[in-house]
Amino acid sequence: MAPTPVTSPVPIQWYPMLSALFLLIGLLVTASFFIYEATSSTRSRSLLKEAVSAAMASTFLGFGSLFLLLATGVYV
Amino acid sequence: MGRTSAAMAVFLFLLLSLFSILQLVSSSPEIRVLSAERRIDVTAPITRVFLTLKVENAGTSEVSEVLLAFPPTEAEHLAILKASVAEGKRKKKTYVPLSVNPSESPDAPNGARLYSVSLRSPLKSGEATTVEAFYVLTHLLEPFPAEISQSEAQLVYYRDSATLLSPYHIVEQITSIKTPSNKVESFTSVDPTSRVGSELRYGPYHDHGPYSYSPVIVHFENNNPFAVVEELVREIEISHWGSLQIRDHYKLKHAGARHKGVFSRLEYQFKQSISGVASFRHLLTKLPPRVHSVYYRDEIGNISSSHLRIDSHKSELEIEPRYPLFGGWKATFTIGYGLPLQDFLFESHDGRRYLNFSFGCPLIETMVDDLTVKVILPEGSRNPTAAVPFPVDQHLETTYSYLDVVGRTTVVLQKRNVVPEHNIPFQVYYDFNPIFMLAEPLMLISAVFLFFVACITYVHVDLSIGKSS
Repeated sequence: MAPTPVTSPVPIQWYPMLSALFLLIGLLVTASFFIYEATSSTRSRSLLKEAVSAAMASTFLGFGSLFLLLATGVYV
Repeated sequence: MGRTSAAMAVFLFLLLSLFSILQLVSSSPEIRVLSAERRIDVTAPITRVFLTLKVENAGTSEVSEVLLAFPPTEAEHLAILKASVAEGKRKKKTYVPLSVNPSESPDAPNGARLYSVSLRSPLKSGEATTVEAFYVLTHLLEPFPAEISQSEAQLVYYRDSATLLSPYHIVEQITSIKTPSNKVESFTSVDPTSRVGSELRYGPYHDHGPYSYSPVIVHFENNNPFAVVEELVREIEISHWGSLQIRDHYKLKHAGARHKGVFSRLEYQFKQSISGVASFRHLLTKLPPRVHSVYYRDEIGNISSSHLRIDSHKSELEIEPRYPLFGGWKATFTIGYGLPLQDFLFESHDGRRYLNFSFGCPLIETMVDDLTVKVILPEGSRNPTAAVPFPVDQHLETTYSYLDVVGRTTVVLQKRNVVPEHNIPFQVYYDFNPIFMLAEPLMLISAVFLFFVACITYVHVDLSIGKSS
């Protein structure tokens, strides 16, 4: 068995597209988070809902910025 | 009286026999060189020598190694020494490499250094074999005159011996020296000596004893640019996200005859055939195929005079230093590029990952005085080991790069006196758990998440001074 070449987990051609997609979703979720923060009152606010949308937004923004770094040639 | 003289005679006899035994042991009479042919190539700044020795075992016991001797001046400039033996007849001839090791001998005169070549099968009494040796010497050509003006040609001295330095008796030998052109100013004549075109031939000489040496000097024109990289630091950074980043930091010097007087740019541009013949303005770098994001800069910015040619087998980068380099002038610059990961990083059967990369300097026909290769492994790599086909100094370092917490393990390989013959692949093995690839995205995610947590906290905490209604 010959040694197998190690490749990137995602094809490097996808990085710009993935970056745009993830950042877009991330920013939309961020927007909805802030809309929720601004429109809800102190009493009606649910911490769980806030935490879930914050986690979603940060996941998408985190991966989006990682792919943005990779797409621009900053190989982390 | 008679008794003392008898004792003296016995003592003398003992002393003499002891001497003769010592001589028998030390002069190693088992091997005789039937014919020696040495072809020396001094056309480039790097001296390459091909040596063909036909050795015969003239003794009674078996011989398993053959010694090669080098004068101290050559030994300190020896960059690589390879030996091989030819097997098979004419067309099916194959060369089998032999192992070469430094050796010590008490009877080597004037600091001559010995290397022993281990034969594949011991040579029986009366048998003969042919050993081929190839070695490369650097910094052996001495410019003379040491300083030349812009319009002069560069002349160099080559010093060697007309006869081969060897610990054995040589029956017949011949030495030929190939110069870059037929412009040879002078050469020492040791009869029979002949010169045909650009080739100088010493010999054939017959029956020279062990360690015979007759110095010769050849003074000839060599207008090759003496490009010497005084220091080269190569950084190879592995990213498992799909790229290999390489940064080469060069300290280049023209080690030929020093430039004298002023530099006239006008003369240099208009009379290119006669002005500054020993200087150089281009350098050719051989890069691997599928190279991308190539840059070339020095301390004060980007240098745009470069050409990159890419085809499926290799990439060539032709660069012009900021100014033409004359003798004694230096240039410091950096070349960087990226390479696809799958061409160089592999996973072996036992699950270890390894980098397979070429050692040595990518500039063609260039010697490197001090080469440092730094292989920067991804964060989370463990147990790095390097496999290099020749001896190098190695140690470990920690490098910090983008999004690092504990730092990246770096394998540092150092070697002095590197020639193009050292451009052979080496491997760096390491253990890596793919889960560590998630460290970077997790770091980014937690940074963004902290921002959200701060927002949530701000909204939930009442910061007003007055009593809330």
